[in-house]
Amino acid sequence: MLGASLYIIVCSARNRLHVRLRRLREPRYLLGGIAGVAYIYFGFFARMRSSSGSATGRRAPGASGMPAGLSMLAATGPAIVGVLLLGATALAWLVPVNSGLLDFSESEIQFLFPAPVSRRALLMHRLMRSQLGIVFGSVVVGLVTPSPFGVSRLRICVATWVLLTVSKVYFTVITLARTRLASRDPGARRAAWLPVAVNLAAVVVVTTALTRAFMDGPVTGARDALVRIGVPATSGLSGLVVWPFVAVARPLFAPWPGPFLAALGGAAIVLVSLVAWMLYSDDAFQDAAADAAERRAREPARQAATYRARSAGWTLATTGRPEVAFAWKAAMQTLRAVDRRGAARAAAILVSLAVVASSAGWSTGVAAVLGVLVTGGAMFAVLLAPQVLRMDLRQDLRHLEVLKTWPVKSAVVLRGELAWPGALITAVAWAMIGVATLLSAAVFTSAGLGMRLSVGVASAILAPALVFAQLIIHNGVALIFPAWVPLGNQRPRGLDAMGQRLIVLGATWLLLLVMVLPGALAGGIVWFAFRSVLGSAVLVPAATLATVVVALEVLVAAEALGPAYERIDLMSVGRAE
Amino acid sequence: MAISVEQFGRTYGTFTAVEDLSFEVASGEIVGLIGPNGAGKTTTLRSLAGILRPTSGRVRIDGYDLVGDPIEAKRRLAFMPDEPHLFEYLTVEEHLRLIARLYAVEEFEPRARALLEELELTGREGSLPGELSRGMKQKVVIACGLIRNATTLLFDEPLTGLDPLGIRRMRATIAARAATGAAILLSSHLLHLVEEVCSRVIIMDHGTKIADATVEELKSRADLAEAGSNLEQIFLKVTGHR
Repeated sequence: MLGASLYIIVCSARNRLHVRLRRLREPRYLLGGIAGVAYIYFGFFARMRSSSGSATGRRAPGASGMPAGLSMLAATGPAIVGVLLLGATALAWLVPVNSGLLDFSESEIQFLFPAPVSRRALLMHRLMRSQLGIVFGSVVVGLVTPSPFGVSRLRICVATWVLLTVSKVYFTVITLARTRLASRDPGARRAAWLPVAVNLAAVVVVTTALTRAFMDGPVTGARDALVRIGVPATSGLSGLVVWPFVAVARPLFAPWPGPFLAALGGAAIVLVSLVAWMLYSDDAFQDAAADAAERRAREPARQAATYRARSAGWTLATTGRPEVAFAWKAAMQTLRAVDRRGAARAAAILVSLAVVASSAGWSTGVAAVLGVLVTGGAMFAVLLAPQVLRMDLRQDLRHLEVLKTWPVKSAVVLRGELAWPGALITAVAWAMIGVATLLSAAVFTSAGLGMRLSVGVASAILAPALVFAQLIIHNGVALIFPAWVPLGNQRPRGLDAMGQRLIVLGATWLLLLVMVLPGALAGGIVWFAFRSVLGSAVLVPAATLATVVVALEVLVAAEALGPAYERIDLMSVGRAE
Repeated sequence: MAISVEQFGRTYGTFTAVEDLSFEVASGEIVGLIGPNGAGKTTTLRSLAGILRPTSGRVRIDGYDLVGDPIEAKRRLAFMPDEPHLFEYLTVEEHLRLIARLYAVEEFEPRARALLEELELTGREGSLPGELSRGMKQKVVIACGLIRNATTLLFDEPLTGLDPLGIRRMRATIAARAATGAAILLSSHLLHLVEEVCSRVIIMDHGTKIADATVEELKSRADLAEAGSNLEQIFLKVTGHR
């Protein structure tokens, strides 16, 4: 089976690589690939090189002379992480965590389950298959680790691999043990309770030690608190109990080379023991795998269930402008996916907090914090939400086969697709701008009431212009370069796909600047001409004129993109791997 | 002619899916489009429905050019694909309502009620697609196609996913629509269905039309005389599989 597993892993990886290399023949993927490689190079390797250069003359890692904070972290880190890991693993008995190791794919079920292969071999197969993802994740962690030394990155990479693999195996063991708890065989049931009892006893021992550590005088600061969390790992029975968890965490903190290799040895003992435990629990494998398969089979139903068939309070009239039908369709999607009561409650709490915080003198600090948060939220809504919320053609291209049969003009489709997401984002932005204006006295203490009100009203006027401008750009990109736009919840993988996303993002921002420029110029002229007469209130007419100009541009762009919609072909719409 | 196809062709990159295809379908006529897998049937139907752009040639629906005047042409068309594509967040009744709005359907309520009854969807008006079986989803797609007064109906494997009773009712529905003057072009691998309901068949292979005649005419053709007495035998002979 080992050979067959390796064969599957190697063939899958090789074929995936072939697919990705082959698609580089297409210019769009080649461009994306170049952008992706450039991003990785300038983002990681060039940074590594420059920091290596600046580190010349500094001491090698692991040498003495480490800053006090870092040496404290190196000394207490494994103990702290070990205790936290113990807590997390104890919680995993209460809250089921899916390690993914038992989630066999449809093809694995079809080919491997009927094959004359032992359950242990199947478990080992899944563990080996999971290694590609784990190794990739560990390499990424190693790359992003801020260290000028290659050996430090390698050390972190290996330590992360140990931690991730141990976690995967441990959570699989828990899944298998939970299945055995429900076994009809009383002997198996009793045996399954043993690890639960051991884990519970460990938690009791460590909690007692932890309580003692914290009762031993008042905590003097964050560092003191961290040191006390690590106390149970240092001695006595609790030290023995926490040892496996500390051993897994130790490679992350141990300096190269001697201490790290020693720490790695300890972690390897834990890993091997866990794998042995997992293979020993294989009798529960069949049921656990069946549960996982059932869960996977329910997946589409669960996705569908994210929409609940409830009255949305808006019945579409069978006559009228077709744009409204598109907006209604998107509104149904939102209203059926969002918990309306929860959203209304959150909005009510936000507004109440804002009113209380702005009116009560004692809460200036709260008002300031809330004001900054809401201002940030408003900026996010206006500048990033049109990219994140994809309830327009970027999602509806999945239904292009249906849309193309409708007797509707292309510009109508575009206007209709933009209407609901634009209105929704604008409404959220307006709510946040309103709250931010209410709290602005606490945030912008030097600005007068007139200025704050003018900025608030001008922002509210500008918000829809910026939102709709971005939406038309995103939809235009989706129509002209459909294969570059992930559809719905698709997340295409690979360097080239990442590069494509970067190019689209950059192009979108550039286009937004170009689109907003005429409106900004028009608004700027109004501001320049009337600022001495109207004072800060001039921002309102300036923003109004800018919005009108951008709105006209959006309408013109919708008409201009019509031929692109007519030309777009089902075959040109990309599909993620 | 309700459907007029002249020298239609469609390529995907360097691959030619359909080449130089010409045929016509008159009002009230039911024409079967048959052929082995990869013959170009679905490409033809999707192009007639306005989903795929023809690479060459001309398609007219009730005299309206599908490329030159797509809105008027599509207004007269109803396409029922083999794979039901529904909006997962709209209920059955809302799908019909959406179509009614887009196609300006008059007297929506009584028409919808009758259609839901005819397709055995009564009681499922408030269900989302995720709560329906494949056969029911297929019926919703068919209901969306039939709710309007389309003069041209295109069916791609209309019986896929339907139970025996559904198949029987579907056959009756197709015949009833033709009796009211609709031009129907249907693609199916169920040759006995085609033989039973179609007044004419078009046989395609490798993207080209290799026969266009009634079953009786095909039977009387000298080169097919030895093929046998039913459409299946004729089909196998024509496509060179026998």
